[in-house]
Amino acid sequence: MNENVYILENLKQSSPIIQLAWCLSGIFFVIITMLIMYLKYLRNHLRENEKIETKYQEEYETHLITYLYAGNDDDTLSLEQQSIINELKTCIVDPFKRKIVVSTLLKLRNEISGEIAESIDKLYIELGLLSYSLAKLRNKKWDIIAIGIRELTQFKVKGVHKVVMNNINHPKKEVRKEMQLYLIHLFSFKGLNFLNVLETSLSEWDQIQLLEVLQVANNTEIADIRPWLKSSNDSVVIFSLKLAKVYNQFEAKEELIELLDSKSENVRVNTIAALSHLNIIEAKNILKTNFAERSHEEQIAFLKMMENVYESSDKAFLLEHMQHKNFEIKLLVMEILKNINFEEYPFYESEFQKSLIA
Amino acid sequence: MNTSTVEIIMLIIHYFFLVFSVIAISSYSILAVISAIETIEYMKKNSFVNYKEILSSTFSPSISIIAPAYNESLNIVENVRSLLSSHYVNYDVIIVNDGSKDDSLSKLIEAYDLIQISYHINEQIKTKQLRKGIYKSTNPAFDKLTVVDKENGGKADALNMGLNISKNKYVACIDVDCLLLEDALQKMIKPFLETTDARVIAAGGVIRIANSCIVKDGKLLDINFPKTWLEQGQILEYLRAFLLGRMAWSRLNGLLVISGAFGLFDKKIAITVGGYDTNTVGEDMEIIVRMRRHMEDEKQKYKVAYIPDPLCWTEAPDNYKTFISQRNRWTRGTIETLKKHNKIGFNPKYNCLGLISYPYWFFFERMAPIIEVAGIIYFGILTVLNEVRWDYTFAFVILAYLFSVLFSIVAIVSEELTYHQYKKKSIGFKLVMIAFLEPFVNHPYILYSAIKGNIDYYFYKKIEWGDMTRKGMTKA
Repeated sequence: MNENVYILENLKQSSPIIQLAWCLSGIFFVIITMLIMYLKYLRNHLRENEKIETKYQEEYETHLITYLYAGNDDDTLSLEQQSIINELKTCIVDPFKRKIVVSTLLKLRNEISGEIAESIDKLYIELGLLSYSLAKLRNKKWDIIAIGIRELTQFKVKGVHKVVMNNINHPKKEVRKEMQLYLIHLFSFKGLNFLNVLETSLSEWDQIQLLEVLQVANNTEIADIRPWLKSSNDSVVIFSLKLAKVYNQFEAKEELIELLDSKSENVRVNTIAALSHLNIIEAKNILKTNFAERSHEEQIAFLKMMENVYESSDKAFLLEHMQHKNFEIKLLVMEILKNINFEEYPFYESEFQKSLIA
Repeated sequence: MNTSTVEIIMLIIHYFFLVFSVIAISSYSILAVISAIETIEYMKKNSFVNYKEILSSTFSPSISIIAPAYNESLNIVENVRSLLSSHYVNYDVIIVNDGSKDDSLSKLIEAYDLIQISYHINEQIKTKQLRKGIYKSTNPAFDKLTVVDKENGGKADALNMGLNISKNKYVACIDVDCLLLEDALQKMIKPFLETTDARVIAAGGVIRIANSCIVKDGKLLDINFPKTWLEQGQILEYLRAFLLGRMAWSRLNGLLVISGAFGLFDKKIAITVGGYDTNTVGEDMEIIVRMRRHMEDEKQKYKVAYIPDPLCWTEAPDNYKTFISQRNRWTRGTIETLKKHNKIGFNPKYNCLGLISYPYWFFFERMAPIIEVAGIIYFGILTVLNEVRWDYTFAFVILAYLFSVLFSIVAIVSEELTYHQYKKKSIGFKLVMIAFLEPFVNHPYILYSAIKGNIDYYFYKKIEWGDMTRKGMTKA
């Protein structure tokens, strides 16, 4: 006790800087102690949570499977189903349990298809989970809004699309992306109408995701991409060019050819790739005429196109570019020449090697 | 000199050390806060990402994994298998056998049915000559694999050869012994594809230590905590650096280094700047600084991205000799890079790069160990002269120690709140223990290596990469 008093007295008499240092040390010590206790709690809590989550998930899964196979023949709810609904309704009042119920529903939703999958969608509404999802859309936090939209997508709730569409130009790209995925998942090509009013850029990542979802939908009613090819938003044009490739949009030939004069190099390169994929021969002559004025990227794209549509009359044009300063262009030229006349290939090869040494 | 002059000089020295320490501690704290904010934001955003869709898409951009190998015979076949098991669809693997003296090449030929092919190399960057040539597999299962056998020229030269060989838009430069998680490529490519307001020139990921972890068929099966203090200390050090440092630099767009163990690059920019510098041992840092400098000179908007997910696991030194050699090399690499690019330092023309990143690296990475050792020597002199104020000494040593422990504990808590990779029961206690011990266990060696690195740099310039004896990861 006396010793403690002595230390404190000593500290009081020391300079302010030492007092500050000890004071900070004291604060650090307290924080360290608290953090270590928190760490202990956190690690236990995470482990426990994992166990509880697994337990509830198993429990709900059993309930849900029973529900799915306990229906009456006339599509009305059986007593057993009703009692499961009542039980689950009491669970979803607790946000933690609600989260597990939703994830369990989704897990099952992803594993099955057809009528049973539809009955899961119905159960989602029956349990009142739809109102929770819609409430999320009114939240101020962007991540909650995005979660809400995602739930609506996953349970295929089409009726609320106008509310979802309000987020078309949301400042957070994650929300915009969820909205776009909602529209595509649920309305396939019709959902692409958001492109008409999209002001923000559609990233390459978003484009890939949208294309993949569209392909899974396997819808034969393909939208008319022509208006989007004329969009002032370059990213919309590039996305449409990809659509033209995937869905062989020959009808858009005129618009595609016009895009060869777009101001954006990226658009022009993608246009050449689309024209190449669609085998639009008219484009070949246009590009051949102004080949020298085009960027290296465009020239490479064009030569890749020529690999599929070359003719023996192209030989003179190709020989002109045999000594091009760009390696990739030179290599492509040589490849096409080889295809035109294989017997002359050793000559081209030796010319190519000479140009490399030079 | 009279007594008052000596006293003034001493006072200046004292204040210099004090101010330096206060600024260093403040910088670390600010970076930690920014990192925490950025990590929370990343975790939120990442929870909405569906990486599956990018996997199978024909529109996903092509990536070449370039892995230089030198005398890696022990694990080369398994390491290549790991690289070939990525879930990403549009990628290939280029193994550059950099003049290995062992049987690495013959093992690869045998394991992957390789045959020599003729190949036109676009030699945009000068490298050492090919030795036996270029090999591809006859087995369609390994059609993504290309093996290049060349004369020895060092890691940078081998990576440059890979850049010349690659036909893809992006290149992932990695250490061949690294264990890449299956979803690493799609996570790394994301910033390149989703950033629309700037060009992403490179992206780095978190490197984790795989010592004692269980690996089977190139896959990480079980995460364990190594037994030695040296390895445990390095785990903590990596957690601090990656969770509390780099994330903040990424937010400030001021990242100066992407770990050589795993980084993804825009190939066009990497080639435009001339590829890796073969005259430095810090080629991983140097190329990033050069690429950034190029973009600043060209006045183009750019970004160096950082992915906080643990994507790559690597073997860390398990003995002090290798550890010192590795840290010595890191020090020399930092000195060489900062010296080579001293024009950007404190230069407003280079924005954040010149005014924040460079000065930070100069003072708190390059100079910090020197100042620390100078402080220790100065303290020794004061002790001999009986001029030490022990009340000050105790107060500040304890303060510095507690700050370092606090910083480590914050890193551990961050790890638990985010990735929670060390789930096994006793590991939490061990991590806390090593947070208290690390300043005595690892730090003196780090300091020694840094000083040795400085001496080697200024007096023995020819010393290059040290060898690291691979033990190989623990197999199931």
